[in-house]
Amino acid sequence: MKKFSRRRGVLTTTFSGYEVELLTSLILQLVELVSDGKPEEYLSPAPDAFDELVRDLEEPGIRSEPEDPVLRRLFPTAYPQDAGAAADFRRFTERDLRSKKITDASVVLRRLAETEQGAHPLRIPLAETESWLRTLTSVRLAVATRLGITDAAAADALNDLPEEDPRSFLVSVYDWLGFAEETLISAM
Amino acid sequence: MVGMAESGGGVGVVPAGGTAVEERPADEALLQTPWVTIVWDDPVNLMSYVTHVFVTYFHYPKTKAHKLMMQVHTEGKSVVSTGSREEMERDVTAMQEYGLWATMQRADST
Repeated sequence: MKKFSRRRGVLTTTFSGYEVELLTSLILQLVELVSDGKPEEYLSPAPDAFDELVRDLEEPGIRSEPEDPVLRRLFPTAYPQDAGAAADFRRFTERDLRSKKITDASVVLRRLAETEQGAHPLRIPLAETESWLRTLTSVRLAVATRLGITDAAAADALNDLPEEDPRSFLVSVYDWLGFAEETLISAM
Repeated sequence: MVGMAESGGGVGVVPAGGTAVEERPADEALLQTPWVTIVWDDPVNLMSYVTHVFVTYFHYPKTKAHKLMMQVHTEGKSVVSTGSREEMERDVTAMQEYGLWATMQRADST
């Protein structure tokens, strides 16, 4: 890919067919993970307050920290010093946070599909850039978690991997995502 | 203010009492410990992105956003906003939407 450039309120670059396929697949994996395999449940129009209350009484929402390390990073504990408040916060916000991530992802997937496997330039209207940045960030956090990037030293160590290391492909994907996000920000 | 000035020259007791009662809730609000939103350092989020989030969401000037980002980066964390518990829950939620590692606590427990 080339750097993003901005013209008349639209950010543009070109992705190869392979890059479109790769990013699409990473985002679909994210959506699958964040929605527990049921994205349609999170994309449906927001239930009204009464329906939500009934649902809440029937099945008390999410209260505990997720088990998957990627989800733990995407939905961190808001009150580290108060387990009760942390559980309540999760119960009242995590479903919306998950919906938000899936809605953002669907915005990105639509623009990627419009390139028809990279045959056309990728065009992102300024109004959609926040969805793009949030989605690229979520995907980077997911890849980084799988690579064990927990601190700066772990990140640096991955730069010196021999080519035959099984992680080197994922490291190149991580670097590519960083490049895409960085040039998107500077083009804005 | 006008009420207090009048009470000094008149019968006194009643207007003065009224003023005191009226001001009590404001005093209590001031005495309440505020809450803070803290953003923690992580090795993944780009410095330019973290600054962008502080400018976009909090509408902080670029210089302040950059300073807060550098504080996260060099000191490991930064208090990025202060307010009521409800306001901080909103801010933490927004930071988590953006993928920043954000938590909240009472201001006096930092």
